[in-house]
Amino acid sequence: MTELHFSDVQRDCLQELVNVAMGQASDKLARYLGTFVHLQVPSIALVEATLLSQHFANRYQQQSATLVSLGFFGDQGLRGETIMLYQLANAGVIARLLGYSDDAVSEAEMLTDISSVLTTTFLSGLAEQLENSFSYAAPRILSSRDQYFADKLAYTAEQWQLALQVDIRYQLTDYSFNCDMILLIPGEAVLRLRQTLDNILAEF
Amino acid sequence: MALTALICDDSLLARNQLKKSLPSVFDADILTAGNGVEALTILRTREVGLVFLDLTMPELDGVGVLEAIKAEAMDCLVIVVSADIQPEMQKRVMELGALAFVQKPATADKLAAVMHKYGLI
Repeated sequence: MTELHFSDVQRDCLQELVNVAMGQASDKLARYLGTFVHLQVPSIALVEATLLSQHFANRYQQQSATLVSLGFFGDQGLRGETIMLYQLANAGVIARLLGYSDDAVSEAEMLTDISSVLTTTFLSGLAEQLENSFSYAAPRILSSRDQYFADKLAYTAEQWQLALQVDIRYQLTDYSFNCDMILLIPGEAVLRLRQTLDNILAEF
Repeated sequence: MALTALICDDSLLARNQLKKSLPSVFDADILTAGNGVEALTILRTREVGLVFLDLTMPELDGVGVLEAIKAEAMDCLVIVVSADIQPEMQKRVMELGALAFVQKPATADKLAAVMHKYGLI
């Protein structure tokens, strides 16, 4: 697994590409919700996918969470999955803001819509910088109220050998709401990504 | 005497990208800073005419740098180069005295256009 690690320069490069893509996604979200999104420097870590489910289980232990995942496929074997995690305590605020009614079906629909705005904007911004283009699978939604949440999360993580964990927090200033985004990329796609980063770095 | 310009960004890629994308006719000594604190240290000790400033940075962000430049009445022009393109953020930095806003990634075309517009090249 160690041969998949990123050098400091590669990490910096990826971080900057993520930053730019995140800026575009935040702008979209801000327009969609009619509010301001506070941007933070995203943290990037290459972790073993099998450890992710435990990590999430710990982080979301105290509150119920909903997860929306979206698979993406690009050229030259670059593919992966994004996972958006929402804390449900805040979902009602956004539902009222966007005019969704206050029930579980609408909540799922709303989170799928928001995820779609965020992840497709983020991913297309990232793809453009990587000189790639992505197509997307249908989104999948998973609630922690579901009794098999932990199992399903573990299953999702195990599909990928390695995860590039990009912790992105989208925090709204006007409303109490935040969500986390995790980018999962399988081992061979990590190699492809690293090569693309080297190409970009060679230009500058 | 050549102008001194400062590139402030926490990303090495972004600093290199910007440096390399500056118009060749722009005759300046280029300094770099990796965050807002470093930038202010340079601005307080050197005579810098133009700053290319990122917004999302650790230690002290770009907004903090703009606030300090304003509060200390430093005599330098600031071009914000940021991925945070929300209209509210653009409005905020312009109110804090930024000359212009360039959306990342900073390409040669974008930089040449804005620098030409403000008579910097």
